[in-house]
Amino acid sequence: MSQRPGSLPEATAGQALPAVVRYVTQEKINRYARASGDGNPLHTDPEYAARTRFGGTIAHGLLVLAYVSEMLTAAFGERWPNGGRLKSRFRAPARPGDTLTVSGEVQKADGVRTLCRIEVRNQAGEVLVDGEAEVGG
Amino acid sequence: MVSLSGLAKGYEFPPVPFELSRDWVEEYRAAVEDEATAEVGDDVVPPMALVALAVRSLLEQAALPEGTIHLGQEVSFRRAVRVGEPLEAQARITSRGERQGWLLMGIELSVEDAAGWAVMHGRATITVPGA
Repeated sequence: MSQRPGSLPEATAGQALPAVVRYVTQEKINRYARASGDGNPLHTDPEYAARTRFGGTIAHGLLVLAYVSEMLTAAFGERWPNGGRLKSRFRAPARPGDTLTVSGEVQKADGVRTLCRIEVRNQAGEVLVDGEAEVGG
Repeated sequence: MVSLSGLAKGYEFPPVPFELSRDWVEEYRAAVEDEATAEVGDDVVPPMALVALAVRSLLEQAALPEGTIHLGQEVSFRRAVRVGEPLEAQARITSRGERQGWLLMGIELSVEDAAGWAVMHGRATITVPGA
């Protein structure tokens, strides 16, 4: 089995994590609903969702966090699943048609732990998710 | 099925055993368009898949009330999990309160391996209308 260290084997404060860009569609949301077993109609039923305060379907929060996880895996490799931590807040929903940009920046790296700020923005620049991630090393 | 909003603080869901089949992991990877995890190891499961499975285990035991919204998620991973590992998901209601007509709930989620060691631990914060 290959063990790649990720693109930031020696992170330093201020360093940007490799951004991940994902286009959200209803089909992708439906596919995540099937895989996750979370068939909440707020995600999958446009007619139902149109009557809610969101006015339409929204992506699962955990789908968006999966994109964040991909960025952290790309940045830190096996250090992310082996001891990584993430604390995130959902500020606004991701909707079908949105282009999400997941980004992050190293806040502190002392050789023991690396702390990062992470965020997800839509094409309008609105912050949908923000939070902090931490990995070993 | 009981509604999640009807459960009291401290309620513990019965543990749910599951095995991460290759088919399911591939379905999950496709759903989240994951390309990076395979670079770590062919059999390594995308870590957020553990959270998804823990939530799925919970949803098999309690219905989400209409309008439930996921406000926040904390998660920590203890080690990488590989395809085919037998695991067990557990969930517990850790907080419950009301704010402006909304019910706020904290749900602790954890996944243990066959040896009983935690491989994932997390906390979801959700809000439900009409408290």
